[in-house]
Amino acid sequence: MKSNDPILYPPLGHRLFSVWYRHMRVYTQHLVSNGFPPFLEPLIFLAGIGLGLGQYITEDIGGRSYIEFLAIGLLVTASMWTASFECTFGTFIRLEFQKVYDGMLAAPITANDLIIGEIFWAGSKGFFFSFAVLTVMCAVSAFGNVIVPLPQALSAPVIGFFNGMMFATLGLLVTSYVKTINHFNFFMTGLISPMFFFSGVVFEIDRLPKNIQPIAEIVPLTHSVRLMRSICGDASTLLMNVWDVLYIVVFTLVVGYFAVRRLKKRLIS
Amino acid sequence: METSVIQVQNVSKTFGALRAVDNLSFEVPEKTCFGFLGPNGAGKTTMMKMLYARALRDAGRDSRIDVFGYDPAGQELHIKYLSGVVPQEDNLDEELNVIQNLLLFARFYNMPPAKARQRAEELLDFLELTEKKTSQIRNLSGGMKRRLVIARALLNQPRLLILDEPTTGLDPQVRHVIWDKLRQLKKQGTTLLLTTHYMEEAFALCDTILILHQGQKVLQGSPKELLAEYIEQYVLELTDSETDPDTLRNRLPARVRIDASGQTIRFYSNDIEALKSVADQLPVGQYYLRQSNLEDVFLKTTGRTLNEKQ
Repeated sequence: MKSNDPILYPPLGHRLFSVWYRHMRVYTQHLVSNGFPPFLEPLIFLAGIGLGLGQYITEDIGGRSYIEFLAIGLLVTASMWTASFECTFGTFIRLEFQKVYDGMLAAPITANDLIIGEIFWAGSKGFFFSFAVLTVMCAVSAFGNVIVPLPQALSAPVIGFFNGMMFATLGLLVTSYVKTINHFNFFMTGLISPMFFFSGVVFEIDRLPKNIQPIAEIVPLTHSVRLMRSICGDASTLLMNVWDVLYIVVFTLVVGYFAVRRLKKRLIS
Repeated sequence: METSVIQVQNVSKTFGALRAVDNLSFEVPEKTCFGFLGPNGAGKTTMMKMLYARALRDAGRDSRIDVFGYDPAGQELHIKYLSGVVPQEDNLDEELNVIQNLLLFARFYNMPPAKARQRAEELLDFLELTEKKTSQIRNLSGGMKRRLVIARALLNQPRLLILDEPTTGLDPQVRHVIWDKLRQLKKQGTTLLLTTHYMEEAFALCDTILILHQGQKVLQGSPKELLAEYIEQYVLELTDSETDPDTLRNRLPARVRIDASGQTIRFYSNDIEALKSVADQLPVGQYYLRQSNLEDVFLKTTGRTLNEKQ
């Protein structure tokens, strides 16, 4: 029996938006408890490592004080952390425990819409977390030493958005393999934490042993951090910028493709 | 001729070595209630999920699913737009309150906010949840959560409502309220498709019942037809019996069938007098003479023992 009236199911853009909106709405329901940590965390890190440990580091790094060097890196890493948590633990809980997707997939959206919407949401969280760090850095700069170069650092949320999307695809791909939630500890401790320390955030990658340096070039965080540093005026070449942008775009598309494909199999039997 | 909302032909679904649904065919006429009845693992949920593309049917040349004229493989959005689904497990957003849950879900249908609010209020009223409008989900009882999930499925005024075990685990009062609401929906023209293992539920709601066992159709018909055709009219039930069924079997009157399982022995017959004569030989208080029901049909066709999936 064919229906006579045209079926006005929502178009693609709206379907992606409604997935994004769902996550945003649920996240902002507890805005104070969810929104406070991203502002506090960079402050703790800056105080503990930058001011505390940084006192012993008198050497300039590429013409910047250590605290300034660290601050630029932290603008990017916040988005990595949030997107990685969102698309591993967060996605897994929605999938297996809360059964949120059972409800959503009963509405006129496809599994692809759902997963891609999730990636955009993680990107948006990346934007917000980088923005939070930026706010803190600007506040610190206003009251004391200038620790982020302005206005260049204002672009941090944009880098945070794309970095968030990139780590979302990686997180979702990992999630597609994971059977129990504890397995994410391997990913977090085995991949994300080392990336934080060895991708040019807390020290430059050319200080790494020569034979380890290529590994830093393979992992995603190196590229978004280096791009952020280039925007902030650190010495870089056009070729290097192109390579970093290309890496981020290709990584997001390729890993995203496999993440969507594999996770879809988990949603639709 | 009645029009069919759902047409399923020769549909199978295999998970590895397991054939969850085995060459199933059926049709659901518009504005009726169609029920899948079967033990756990019979393939009820899988069959339902194939209708709205949550599961993909096995490829087959003569295999076909048609819902409102659309094939879930490729036109799932059409089907989902016209249907509401109540999944087996409640999956409300715990972070949001009752009405917020509905308003958020209305977004998926691209419903304008004012219309969404009006529709949400209507549905809360219909499902008797208006007082709970701003309650937190964790403070709702199981029955309230279930009704809210049903309200959510009704947001877009679906022409087909798919319910997977709508009243499992709920108390009798709530079950009757839900049945009442579902009957009202049917009267308003909604086609209902549900799975259940409650015989009373199937009897109370369904125009057609399909009994599934190990993925296959065992029986199909209206509850009354199934009772008339597949089971004797009366049952004499003997529980905690110490009596050896074989000794009873030997002195059984004609037209009485005996069915023993565990400690329970049941005698089936269309002749109530014959059953009374059996009862007379038994100690008072040990037996129970009653009309047969759908459960008897169900157990007769799907067996009394548990299989590995139950």
